[in-house]
Order: sequence, then structure tokens, then C-alpha cells
Amino acid sequence: MSFHQIFVEFLELPQMQRAFLIAVIAGPVAGLLGAFITSRRMSFFSDAIAHAAMTGVALGFTLRLADDTRGPAMQGTLVIFCVAIALVMAWLFERTTLHTDTVIAFSYAGSVALGVVLISRLRGYRVLEGALFGDILAASWADVWTITALAVVTLGFLFLNLRALTLMVVQEDLARLEGFRTRRLNYFFVVLVAVVVALLLRQLGALLISGLVVVPAASARVVAGTFRRMLLLSAVFGLTGAATGVFSSYHLDTPTGPTIVLADVALLTACLLFACVTRPRPPLARQTPGQSRGKDW
Amino acid sequence: MEALQPARDTPGNDADVLLRVQDLHVSYDDAEVLRGVSMEIRRGDFACVIGPNGAGKSTLMKAIAGLAPISRGRVESRARQVGYVPQQLPIDPALPLTVSEFLSLRLSKSRAWLGAASKSGRMQITAQLAEIGAEHLLDRRLGRLSGGEFQRVLIAYALLNKPDLLLLDEPLTGVDMRGGLSFDGLLHHLHDHRRIAILMVSHDLHLVEHLATVVFCVNRNVCLSGPPKEVLKPENLAKAYGHHSGMVLDQKGSAFIPLGSIRK
Repeated sequence: MSFHQIFVEFLELPQMQRAFLIAVIAGPVAGLLGAFITSRRMSFFSDAIAHAAMTGVALGFTLRLADDTRGPAMQGTLVIFCVAIALVMAWLFERTTLHTDTVIAFSYAGSVALGVVLISRLRGYRVLEGALFGDILAASWADVWTITALAVVTLGFLFLNLRALTLMVVQEDLARLEGFRTRRLNYFFVVLVAVVVALLLRQLGALLISGLVVVPAASARVVAGTFRRMLLLSAVFGLTGAATGVFSSYHLDTPTGPTIVLADVALLTACLLFACVTRPRPPLARQTPGQSRGKDW
Repeated sequence: MEALQPARDTPGNDADVLLRVQDLHVSYDDAEVLRGVSMEIRRGDFACVIGPNGAGKSTLMKAIAGLAPISRGRVESRARQVGYVPQQLPIDPALPLTVSEFLSLRLSKSRAWLGAASKSGRMQITAQLAEIGAEHLLDRRLGRLSGGEFQRVLIAYALLNKPDLLLLDEPLTGVDMRGGLSFDGLLHHLHDHRRIAILMVSHDLHLVEHLATVVFCVNRNVCLSGPPKEVLKPENLAKAYGHHSGMVLDQKGSAFIPLGSIRK
């Protein structure tokens, strides 16, 4: 096979062009956002929103807002539903004494249960398939433009708030001392995560979005020596996984979304092996600063 | 509780007042943590706040730093810059944020931090770490530092903006780094040479006696204040905390309050 057949031919198909564009735009942006999601220990938060989004799909059908899973009305319903559930969770984190994982667990289970009940009364479970697994090859040019706009907004938000978000990873009080309005930023951040998840749902599906968001950031964290390098590598790994996934899915004749996530996981495995070989194991018994004393007020 | 001593024996010049706290009340979830705290810190003061666990000392520091919700009263600061060193922070040990990056977050003035300081910024960071005997920590990860090392980095962070008032919330006074300045030596240097007024919460009464120019005993409100020799008298502390406070005297006759022994 010639170079042309291997590397160029797959891009001659219009649906592959669109899938490739969406993947290489969404991959690095999701990876970068994922660097903050994982540093703030919110990996399950994005996962919960993705699963709750299925209820958004069911709701769209129930209220007869949309006839298929890809129309703009369904897109709107999904975004509104995901943002609403994210805000409810963020509010519960802030205002109740419940642990974060407890809030995530019941929001997740409750909304999935509601979604399944709604769907079962309508047309059976088959309509959920698109929401669960997504189909990046069915993306339209409108989807490409939507994802591009989403990428611009996400990058803009992260860039303009990089200092505050990084300080908030260390401790929110430090960001507040610098005059940043951390509460507002927290709410903006969860809304952004919800919108990203809602808009990527049709391409990757509820079960796989977390892979795109969390895995490249985890790979970067394993090998990066500095925070800046972790951010850069999250984007680079996100891009590499997405491009490799689309390319491999064409040649291996596998579903594209899952192949992207598999490429991300392969990269993570390589990073873990690299770290094991090049770095000595960190001492296990080391006490984390700040864990030596109780909280005193 | 009534004040056993006036805050000052001789009222100084009002222009010297750097920080004035008046009738400060702070509540969390309907629980009143501070009830009417009033105090003054003047230029050149090394003020120490002592008191039992749960007395509201950390809340007082947070309220002064603008981090706690004030329900009544006011905090008036004339300091150009206030540096705040919080109690030990829980840091994710796997977070790849280096000391140099962390300190550059303080130096940067723009919203969009690019992850590294400029050349002059890096020199400033190195000089700041050198001043407190921690220059070797520059490229270490924040999460891999020991308690004492991390404390110094937090102090360096607070000092980078050249504060004239430094708030220290229970520093790990017992922890010193190999080859570095001792912790009380560092505080002494900041107070005497950098001329920074210091307000420090401490359980270490020996350190308080040794360094403080004024001591505030806080238990929801200021129950006692004055020069250390007065405040730290066993009988004064006993009155302030109650006779069954668990307070003990050491061989030199200084009062010592074991951690966690007193709750009011």
C-alpha cells in the first residue's frame, strides 16, 4: 500500500473528513479541560453529567421537542438538561454536608432511572443507543461548526482564567486572596463541563465521553514534571489519540468513537510504562503536607 | 469574658495603627465563632494570638484576610499589602505543580498566567526563597515537600508581594529544615530586618514569650491582651481560661497549655 492509500485515502470520504475534523478539534480541547477536571477530582462529575444526558434525550422525545437524536432541538434540550443537572449538583456540593461522591451517585442513578422510565413508555430502548454510544461518522457540517465554536469558547475560558483555576487547584482561599471570585468561577466551570459533555454526546456517546476528557489528562499527569507541561501534554495526547483513533477505525473497520478512546488508553498505558521505567517509585508512606494536623477554627 | 488587662498600657500614636479590628462577629451555620473581637496591631508589632482549640483563632485570621464572612463589626487595615499564610493545606501529592510555578502565580498580575515567570520574575522568586533559606526547593513539586518545607514556600508566597503585615496561622514552629534558618530565626529576621508587622496564631508559648511584643488571648473574644510577660502569667491564663483548663507549668514557671486540653 502506498503512503497515499494509508494516510490520505480515508480523508476523501466526506463523513471521515467531518469525523476527523471533530476529533482533532474536540480531542485537545477535551484533554485540556480534562487536566483541570482531574486536578480538581471531578472525573466522575463529567461522567455523571454524560449519563444524566440520556435523560435529556428521553425528555426531548417525551416532550416531542425532537424526532431524532441529532436535530438542533434535541441539541438544545440536551444542553439545558446537562447544565441544569450540573448546577443542581454544584449547588448540593456547596450547600449540603453530603460528600461529593454521594451527590454524584444519586444524581447519576436518579437521572438515568428517570431517562429509562421515560424511554420505556415511548418507543422502547432502541432510541437510547445513539445517546449511549454516539456516532461520530453521522456528524454533519453543522456539528463541525458547533464543535469549533465550543472549542473557541472553552479555550477562551481556560486561557482567561488560567491563573485563578490553577490557584484553585491548590486551594480556593489562595485564589480568593488574589481577588478572584471563586464561587462564580466554580459555577462557570461546571456549566462549561456540562455544555462540552452535552455537545459531544452525539459524537461519542454517554459511555465514552469520559474517556476523551479524563484519559489524555491522566496520561499527561503521569509523565509531566511541571503543571505547564501537564497542560500542554493533555492537549497533545488528546489530539494524538483522536487523530490515531479516527485513522485506525478506518483501516481496522471498527466503530470510530470507541477506537478513539482505545487509542487514548493505549497512550496512557505507554505513559505508565514510561514512568515506571524512568522514575523510581514514590515513597508510599510519605505524609501529604497538611494531613498532619486537624482542621482548627 | 471581661478583659483582664487593657489592650495597651499606654495608648500610642493613632498613625501607627496598621490594623484595627472592632467588635468583630463571625458565624458559620448559625454557630457564632467570634463574638465581638476588638484588637489593634501597630507598625513594628509582633502580635501573637493564643487560645484553646476551637476558640476561633483561625477564623479571626481568615476574617482579617477577608476570607471569612463578617456578620457584625469591622476590620480596618492600613497595610499596603497583607500577606496571609494559612494553616497547612492538603495538597494532592501527585499534582505536578512546582514551587517555582506556584510562586509565579503570585507574581503574575494578569488573569492569563502562562505557567512560568519571566526572567526577572524567576530571579525575584529565587531571591525570595534564598531569603528564607529554601532556594533548593525551587524546582521541587509542591505535593512532595515536607510539612516544614511547604510552610516556608507558603511564607515565600506571602512575602513576594512585599507585605507590611504578615498573618501566620499556626506555623509548624517545631519543624526546621536542614541547614536553613531556624523558624524563630526566620520570624525574627522578618520582624526586625524587613520591618514587617506580624500577627501569628501559635500554640507554642515558649516561642510566643520569646518573640511577641503583644499577646492576645482569644476564646471567642479577646479575653486577655497585653505584653507577653503579663498575659503569660499562670494566674492570668488560669483566670482567662478557667481554673480547670488543663494548663501546666514548666520548670521555668512558664504557663503551657497542652493542645486540645481546653474547650469552652
